[in-house]
Amino acid sequence: MERYWNEEIETMSREDMKKLQSERLVKQVKHVYENVKYYRDLMDEKGIKPEDIKSTDDLCKLPFLSKADLREAYPYGLLAKPLSECVRIHSTSGTTGKRVVAFYTQNDVDLWQDCCARAITAAGGTKDDICQVCYGYGLFTGGAGLDGGSHKVGCLTLPMSSGNTERQITFMRDLGATIICCTPSYAAYIGETLHDMGLTPDDIQLKAGIFGAEPWTEEMRRSIEKSLGIKAYDIYGLTETSGPGVAFECSEQSGMHINEDNFIPEIINPETGEVLPEGEVGELVFTSITKEAFPLLRYRTRDLCVLSRKKCSCGRTLIKMTKPMGRSDDMMIIRGVNVFPSQIETVLIEQGYSPNYLIEVDRVNNSDTLDISVEMKTDQLSDKVKDMQQQERDLATAIRMMLGISPKVHLVTPKSITRSEGKAVRVIDKRKLHDKI
Amino acid sequence: MQNVRQISVFLDNKPNQLTGVVKILKEANINMRALSLADTKDFGILRIIVNDTDKALEKLKAASYACTSTEIIAITIPDTAGQLSRVIEILGGQNVNIEYLYAFIGKSDKAVSFAIRVDDNAHASEALLNGGIIQLTENDISEM
Repeated sequence: MERYWNEEIETMSREDMKKLQSERLVKQVKHVYENVKYYRDLMDEKGIKPEDIKSTDDLCKLPFLSKADLREAYPYGLLAKPLSECVRIHSTSGTTGKRVVAFYTQNDVDLWQDCCARAITAAGGTKDDICQVCYGYGLFTGGAGLDGGSHKVGCLTLPMSSGNTERQITFMRDLGATIICCTPSYAAYIGETLHDMGLTPDDIQLKAGIFGAEPWTEEMRRSIEKSLGIKAYDIYGLTETSGPGVAFECSEQSGMHINEDNFIPEIINPETGEVLPEGEVGELVFTSITKEAFPLLRYRTRDLCVLSRKKCSCGRTLIKMTKPMGRSDDMMIIRGVNVFPSQIETVLIEQGYSPNYLIEVDRVNNSDTLDISVEMKTDQLSDKVKDMQQQERDLATAIRMMLGISPKVHLVTPKSITRSEGKAVRVIDKRKLHDKI
Repeated sequence: MQNVRQISVFLDNKPNQLTGVVKILKEANINMRALSLADTKDFGILRIIVNDTDKALEKLKAASYACTSTEIIAITIPDTAGQLSRVIEILGGQNVNIEYLYAFIGKSDKAVSFAIRVDDNAHASEALLNGGIIQLTENDISEM
């Protein structure tokens, strides 16, 4: 039987949810207008007053916020509460420039942990579980979010943080961890290490994994489920809105329920900003309606996905988002074609290769090049060069069928591509270096 | 005729890749009898014949090298002009396709050995036998 952390909210009728969201939104817009000069200026510029926002139907009147705004307002420009009321700071990994810092009041922390508790419960977690958190602890939201959620649910929490993979497995075995939380690339690495240590999924007690913080494919999900003997659940979030737990997957494993009592989602056309109807692909935008310290209104996530209100077999009525097809800034345009690393990952796993790969994009004589290094399959090693080259060509053909452009595939030795303990770096775009020069 | 097992190891085409392999063999006190390296832009395939194939495979696999063993034909011929030509003609006459071959030390200063990789070992072996070419066993090679 499906269990809920907060049944009232998670199964609330659409009408009641809209009423709740509208009440919270009206209050939040007023709070932001009064306390955040940066956003007040944006609203004034558009000629919008808090009184113009009467329900969620008026959401589209509000100005957007983007990562550029967060950088400009760094560090305190978007803070809506005095620092004396804030109890915590988290920060983005800062891979694409200046870090973003987010602030939390105690109430913000409680609501965030509540969202994570819903995710753990949806993955089958109860107070009888032992939850191993191997997301990084520290400024990154992954460790703190799932740790807090695990406490709320009442699981015995193992605050492992990331790294030291053999020790992770030793603790997992000795203490009988039943739930694991980490990035999907680290989960894949743990599965690989388990195998290398001569162990099988039967040697561990894990039953579920909650994986997020980077894009991953259905193929990767199946591969992790097999290597660890678990059911793998997706979780979504971003530091700007709180961290993991903005949306979470249920037993149906077909998209993530958004905690829309806290975050109102919209899908927009990334070029024009126009709101798109349910079912269309576009950029995901969130409005935080309960956060006190760092309440972002209409924050553009740059994640591309689809929203759906189709009835879910788990009984939750919370709107669902598909797994993001990639962050719009993960998308590469190669020879005029849009390419996401996840598409390449899909082909690799389908063809039996390991999900460890490196994509290098460059520009030679004004033409884009796409080079993909992939670890060769040990059991497919031939003493003949032509057989190995045929494997490279076959894989290149399969990738070309998926992308529409031809890559160069390079087979490399097993385990030679660096394993990630946090967010995996899969793409090196050398064209950007040229552009800077 | 017992064929000879050759070990193939997959290596990246980058500096220092061979170091690890030869170190493992050294530490296991394994002697290489024959060696050939095929390379492409991306990778190389190291092919070796050693005096203890099972032990070498075990040690390389334990160190996570991608390696495999393949049966090849090894022959010994006099170290004089025209001898290899004789061998090639015999195989060609029987329509045996040679994938690759490489020379290694002989049983004496007057002889030279060749490792020959073909698709049909039995057929090639019979042709060589009928042509009077001496074939080596794995045991012969380890005792050289």
